[in-house]
Amino acid sequence: MYGNTGKIVQVDLNAGKVTFEALPESWYRAYIGGSGLAAKLFWERGCFKRDPLDPEAMLIFMNGPFAGLKLSGASRNSVAGCSPLTRHWGDSSCGGFFAPELRYCGLDGLVITGRAENPSLLFIADDSVQILDASEYWGRGAEETNRDLKERFGKDVRTLVIGPAAEHLVKYAVILNEGHHATGRAGFGALMGSKNLKAILVKASKKEMSLADPETYEELRKDLNERIKGALASDVLRENGTAANLMGGVYSGDVPVKNWTSNFWEEAADALTGGTLTEKYLTRRSACAYCNIACKRVVEVKEGPYAVPEGPGPEYETIVAFGTLIGSIDLAATCKAGRLCNDLGIDTISAGGSIAWAMEAFERGDLTLEETGGIALNWGDMDTVIDVIIPKISSRDGALGNLLAEGSLAAARKLGKGLDYTVHSKGMEAPMHDPRGGGYGMALTYAVSARGACHVCDPMLFIEMGARYYPEIGFDFIMEPKTEENKAEAAVTAVALGAIENSACFCQFADAEVSIPNWLTLFNAVAGYGWDANDMMRAGRRVFYLKRLINHRYGLTALDDALTPRMLEPGKGGEAEGSQVDLEKMKARFYELMEIDPVRGIPTRKALEDCGMAEEAAVVWK
Amino acid sequence: MEYWKDPQEAVTAILKLHEAVSKDPELGESMKKVNQLIWYDYTEDGPGCAVWVDCRGGQFSFGAGDPPDKPDLIMSLSADDAHRSWSDKLNPVMAITRKKIRIKGSATGLLKLAPKLKKVAAIYVQVLKDMGWEEKIIK
Repeated sequence: MYGNTGKIVQVDLNAGKVTFEALPESWYRAYIGGSGLAAKLFWERGCFKRDPLDPEAMLIFMNGPFAGLKLSGASRNSVAGCSPLTRHWGDSSCGGFFAPELRYCGLDGLVITGRAENPSLLFIADDSVQILDASEYWGRGAEETNRDLKERFGKDVRTLVIGPAAEHLVKYAVILNEGHHATGRAGFGALMGSKNLKAILVKASKKEMSLADPETYEELRKDLNERIKGALASDVLRENGTAANLMGGVYSGDVPVKNWTSNFWEEAADALTGGTLTEKYLTRRSACAYCNIACKRVVEVKEGPYAVPEGPGPEYETIVAFGTLIGSIDLAATCKAGRLCNDLGIDTISAGGSIAWAMEAFERGDLTLEETGGIALNWGDMDTVIDVIIPKISSRDGALGNLLAEGSLAAARKLGKGLDYTVHSKGMEAPMHDPRGGGYGMALTYAVSARGACHVCDPMLFIEMGARYYPEIGFDFIMEPKTEENKAEAAVTAVALGAIENSACFCQFADAEVSIPNWLTLFNAVAGYGWDANDMMRAGRRVFYLKRLINHRYGLTALDDALTPRMLEPGKGGEAEGSQVDLEKMKARFYELMEIDPVRGIPTRKALEDCGMAEEAAVVWK
Repeated sequence: MEYWKDPQEAVTAILKLHEAVSKDPELGESMKKVNQLIWYDYTEDGPGCAVWVDCRGGQFSFGAGDPPDKPDLIMSLSADDAHRSWSDKLNPVMAITRKKIRIKGSATGLLKLAPKLKKVAAIYVQVLKDMGWEEKIIK
């Protein structure tokens, strides 16, 4: 096999058994890698009736075909399985340095089942896989664990670790590469914690890879790396990080304020934007493996109540989730909250979303002091957020910690109040882009995304900005963000391309420079697929379909492709004033174009068969 | 050109726009924050069809033709697209993606201006009216 190694390792923590397995090449051709290949594995072997944290639940790590190939943005990895947060299909991706090292060990992925008797870690060194005791690391923060593991196993070992939140099964706990690159969404840290698995280490001694057409690949790699480095967007991201355009988002109404009760907080534009982070707190820039963009921030807040030593800085999502979303425009506080969430191992999006929901509930009187254990939850009270709420969530301390550790939807259900002002789709808190300001197409793709509300499942955010078009496949829409016009049509291309990006484990910032012909050359030169554009787009659609079929087996229907009442209210403030999304109109058209049954929410038998999914069709269309 | 009789018309309108912007306290301050020498290069529509804006060191000056110094940022586009852009009828991100606008240099300063484009466009409409060029206003 070219490109991919074709090999994964299965670890059964119950038996302490390690097995190497070659996956069929046809699976790679059909589902590419990353979250697509993980979905295929899960479809074949997953159990759809178990609790997400059942010992037999599968935790899947999967690379894409370009991992380690020294191409900017192409060395991310996916984590997938049944999401502890949403209780259906989930996947999440991460940059950092794990994927290349795993590939250099000759592996495309890991499948972990069972539960170790004692806290354990997995140490992969080339083709040796050991399960070692990790009791001494249990209870420690991600930063300390990462540092101590590197001291013990060597500086060049690459790490995945969980923090205390995952050990306490917080439903949106993360897995961190090198202690700070987060596999953030869907709560796979909790799944790892439930398996008593504190860390996974990987170390390779060689970098041998076999490509179908190395010369063609090398020529394109050099060209793409130069183009990615020189792109305007890369320049902006390098200079001011992922929050570089937060200011623009404030004015368009894309940046949510106080649990999405408002679309406009003018002072936030200057206070929180990436340029301000650069000016006030940036000490240096940082990058994932082989990336020429370097959008990562290293910051230091030298003084004041939110002083933090030099270390990883917040990205856009964290800045907004611990900023305007909870009623604060204190940038130093977002730095401190983000650092704390990293160390404890919590997803900042779901944490910010859950806290914002709780603050609104408290303001309305739906959540009382008695129910919070005497803790007042006031907008913008960052001292309480940092000193009390985040630690309580991560350790499930008391009523408030336990309530919010389940996520906002479960919290509202438990409370029996506040469901209408939760902000999620399929149980996953929405990211920090409000479609009423950012673009209605995002509302549609949030709703139809298999894992729940997500801005990186597809490139719709960028399409509506005007930053993506694909003339080679006839995608040449001029998008007006705040209308429903052409959004379903755009989403058809977006979900397929998003599936390709996430299966190839390619960063959305970098792949802006990858045209459709470039994608084809990459797949064909690396893996030797001989694809044309139609083959590739069909693979993308197949991945999108398969994740829906998995959700179908969890009992989801078309009714679950939904947003909450809060997200569908008219926008308030600034340019988004009165802006209201007609989701049902876009969804109906999208279903029609994608040949999705409007009741069951799955593709028709014919649509599946046309995508080469006859076997899957036979399972769901009996 | 669709909107201009000759390149000089475009330069005149855009200089008048910057003159008006400099008199607006909020926009004038925003321009200073850009802190760059920017060259708007419309020379594809004729030699000398260009405007420079110098926001370095807390100043805000501008002029026609070549910039007085090496620019920090060059934006190259047609005079018609410049007209659309100042009228807020051209999505700058889309225009850059589709190579209608070509950028050389750091555009981070310009991001600070992007949210003000609507206000600039309103001033531009007034400038065109004042110049008796109502027919050029894009509806």
